[in-house]
Amino acid sequence: MASDYNDILHALCMHLRKFCDPDVEITPQTDLINQLAIDSVKLLNLIMELEDEFDISVPLNALADVQTVHELANLIHQIKSPK
Amino acid sequence: MTSSINSEGKTLSLTVAKLNAPLTQAFDGRLSSESATTITPTPTYNTQAQRLADFETLTAALEYAASGTAGYNFYDARGNLRSVLSYQALRQNACISAQRLAGLGLVRGDRVAIIADTTPEFVELFFACRYAGLIPYAMPVPVNLGSHAVYVQQLRGMLEAGQASAAVANLDYVGFLREAAEGSRKLRWVGTPEQLGDRSLADVALPSNHPDEIAYLQFTSGSTRTPRGVIITERALMSNLQGIVRHGLEINPSDRCASWLPFYHDMGLVGMVMAPMVAQVSVDYLATRDFAIRPLQWLRLIARNRATVAFSQPFGLKLCTLRVRDSDLEDLDLSSWRAAGVGAEMIRPDTLRNFAEKFGPAGFNASAFLPCYGLAESTLAVTFSQVGQGFQSLRVDAGTLVDRKMAIRLQAEGRKYSEFVNCGRPLPGHTVKVVDDSGLELPDLRVGSVLVRGSSIMTGYFNNPEDTQKTLQPGNWLDTGDLGFVFEGNLYVSGRRTDVIIVNGRNIRAQDIEELAEQQPEVRTREVSAFGITDANDATTIVLVIECRLTSITDRQSLTSRLQRLVYMAFGVNCLVELVPPHTLPRTSSGKLSRFAARQGFMQRTNLTDPLSAESGDK
Repeated sequence: MASDYNDILHALCMHLRKFCDPDVEITPQTDLINQLAIDSVKLLNLIMELEDEFDISVPLNALADVQTVHELANLIHQIKSPK
Repeated sequence: MTSSINSEGKTLSLTVAKLNAPLTQAFDGRLSSESATTITPTPTYNTQAQRLADFETLTAALEYAASGTAGYNFYDARGNLRSVLSYQALRQNACISAQRLAGLGLVRGDRVAIIADTTPEFVELFFACRYAGLIPYAMPVPVNLGSHAVYVQQLRGMLEAGQASAAVANLDYVGFLREAAEGSRKLRWVGTPEQLGDRSLADVALPSNHPDEIAYLQFTSGSTRTPRGVIITERALMSNLQGIVRHGLEINPSDRCASWLPFYHDMGLVGMVMAPMVAQVSVDYLATRDFAIRPLQWLRLIARNRATVAFSQPFGLKLCTLRVRDSDLEDLDLSSWRAAGVGAEMIRPDTLRNFAEKFGPAGFNASAFLPCYGLAESTLAVTFSQVGQGFQSLRVDAGTLVDRKMAIRLQAEGRKYSEFVNCGRPLPGHTVKVVDDSGLELPDLRVGSVLVRGSSIMTGYFNNPEDTQKTLQPGNWLDTGDLGFVFEGNLYVSGRRTDVIIVNGRNIRAQDIEELAEQQPEVRTREVSAFGITDANDATTIVLVIECRLTSITDRQSLTSRLQRLVYMAFGVNCLVELVPPHTLPRTSSGKLSRFAARQGFMQRTNLTDPLSAESGDK
């Protein structure tokens, strides 16, 4: 399970790279809004890419509790995990 | 073309928020286990004679529609049909749910708040309320990153403003709803549609509704502090629906609708849920969230089911233009689309031109563009342009517009101009006039406040006489808050007054942003001004100017980023924060801050030119 999470985190960071300033360091604690400035159109594109890559559907109610890279990776991990 | 589309991309920098997207898994418990191939959408051609909104009430309209074959169809993110709700099934399910609602011990006229995801359950509950003599109102779904707390606060505000006695949300949102309901003394029941379904039937007689009864409340602002519920009676609703389906759309038996508009917006609810039903027309729905992520799905739905009527805010059209790949156009046939309604925010001609250019090769006919104007306070629609004629626009001299508030048609090439889209004529039974600051009616081509009077006007804001009095003027003229002019009987909207900022079609009240800032310990009341600036690419940015006494750079930075974050979480938009020394913000003689003057000052400090400052002073 842990490696799954790490894979997801790694892939997520690769996607985030495309949306933000190359100088910004991305860690699990990085704040998506404040530090990466993920605005709404970037968010749309990001979700589309993540859904395609992980073959999931991200429910937007869950995004209400997502602020950091870790929280987003964790959300994807949860959606992917068999219930 | 590519460059113009790219520049439009900037205008989309704030989009998701406004799309306030419902969830993908618009589930239907009854069908989820079956494969999508076992269900077929309701047909376009109905078996019954078409009646165009000649009913007294919503339930009377549904009683008639239920004897035909049309209905609502819900599609998932991949374009698969997930559930079908014929008007017949809707009537049946709504009547059963009405009996369950009746068992909650509510009194006729009590309000029921429903979080409006794009699902059959929402529609059933909405109509169940009407059958039970209750007043439903739709609440939004959450979208923004990290918006949990703000969303709960927003729900709480709406529950209080509407004084709801019961509140319903599906499993995805009921947690937020329960949090919002905590401590409420008014709410008697909170739960999911499934939980309501577990309750026993009251088995009481359901008396029919009267045209003078309140049909529903429509909340107009997504704001956290002071949401306002527009009161719409059955009579006003049916009057507007009649105007829309007969006069605006000229609905005929071959029509079919396709929509991604949220059910908690007036254009989605009145325009794409109720209007099709009162004309016994079928609708295909895509959840807003799914449209936002893959706009192509909406167009595919139109193509596949040969839809003829589909509405969008201009920004939705921009999303399509921007995000649909050229390679996707090959198997897309939009030639059936005869009424491409555009409304709910200012329409820029270039948005329509770019869309037509992009989708012309896919069979989209520009004559389908149907600009219209309306607002929740007038149920939905006020004016419609002529269906089938495409859009018309007027180029006026930009200088005269700003300096003299006059729209002078462009005489010579090379002059700077502003171009406005013709929104058409008022629906029958409605009058539009443009007045100056003292309330005097202005002649053609003079820019002023747009007022509306007519049979679709709201009764007022629920439990809010103060705002009602401000908005409904003597003679029952509704002050729309929009600026515009009339030319040859047609309305042209030129902007919003400065008390409302429109970002991608979402109305954000400047006051709400200011109050958010004033809640910060470093910020004093009445030392904040919020307004919108629109650049040449039509991108609106919210600007927050704050008189600030902080000297440390760290403290100032902390305030700035906190405010940006709060505004983002509350409204889903980015904002620009400017900290200025005390006494910088201009005040009126009565000591009131003037947003208009604050905006002028900001533009001067930042050397911005104002392409569209037809906006007049504050109210």
